[in-house]
Amino acid sequence: MKKQFVWLLAAMMAMLVVGCANQKGPAEQAIASAETALAQVRDVAQKYVPDQLQAVDAQIASAKDAFAKGDYKGVLAAAPAITAAIGSLKDAAQAKDADAQAALSKAKDDWGSVSTDVPKMVDAIQSRVDILSKSHHLPANVSKDALAGAKSGLDSLKSMWSDASSAASSGDYTGAMSKAQAVKDKAADIMKSLGMTS
Amino acid sequence: MADDNTPAADNPYTQTYVVQSGDTLSKIAQKYYGDPSLYNKIFQANRDILKDPNKIFPGQKLKIP
Repeated sequence: MKKQFVWLLAAMMAMLVVGCANQKGPAEQAIASAETALAQVRDVAQKYVPDQLQAVDAQIASAKDAFAKGDYKGVLAAAPAITAAIGSLKDAAQAKDADAQAALSKAKDDWGSVSTDVPKMVDAIQSRVDILSKSHHLPANVSKDALAGAKSGLDSLKSMWSDASSAASSGDYTGAMSKAQAVKDKAADIMKSLGMTS
Repeated sequence: MADDNTPAADNPYTQTYVVQSGDTLSKIAQKYYGDPSLYNKIFQANRDILKDPNKIFPGQKLKIP
């Protein structure tokens, strides 16, 4: 009787070991598949949805931890959620990437016109400042302070425009447009102070 | 970016003025520059429509550099 029990117990243990071993392969494959899928979107995810990427990394780390402990069943149970999380991560990252690309494309288009427009504004201001500097008296609507401000303002405009152009040259059209708008706004203020807008 | 005289002829940011009856380039220079002696700046900027600085006519649209 005792001998039969021992054999039965040994058989059950063997079945348990075999059962676990049968799950090891699929669990290992599940982790490998998740890591492969994540690697394909890691760069774009890091750029646009780093917090979400961190959460997925944590999920995979947890699965690997479970695998190391022999909890293959646990790994397989977690696999669908990890797969879904990677899918969501990919969708979110790609959506933000598409938005960024669209914004960049628009900025590039806008730069085309602004890159000829702004220099003309600056040219017009420079011309007026040069002429007023030769005037014996300033016109009634332009004060000495306004002229002095316009002169120093011109230097700022040229420096700001140089920064904007550099940004565009390096492909940062979004940054370039932001800087260009600042130049336009300042130039408009200077033109107003010189009575150039009436 | 610019020379110290007139901006490019097709500069949309150059101010313009429509000549009124009784105007002279000197009066216009007084208005915009505070100095009538600078009338030649306006003349030079409008050589495409002005042949003589003493001959301007109401309705002419002048560039004011």
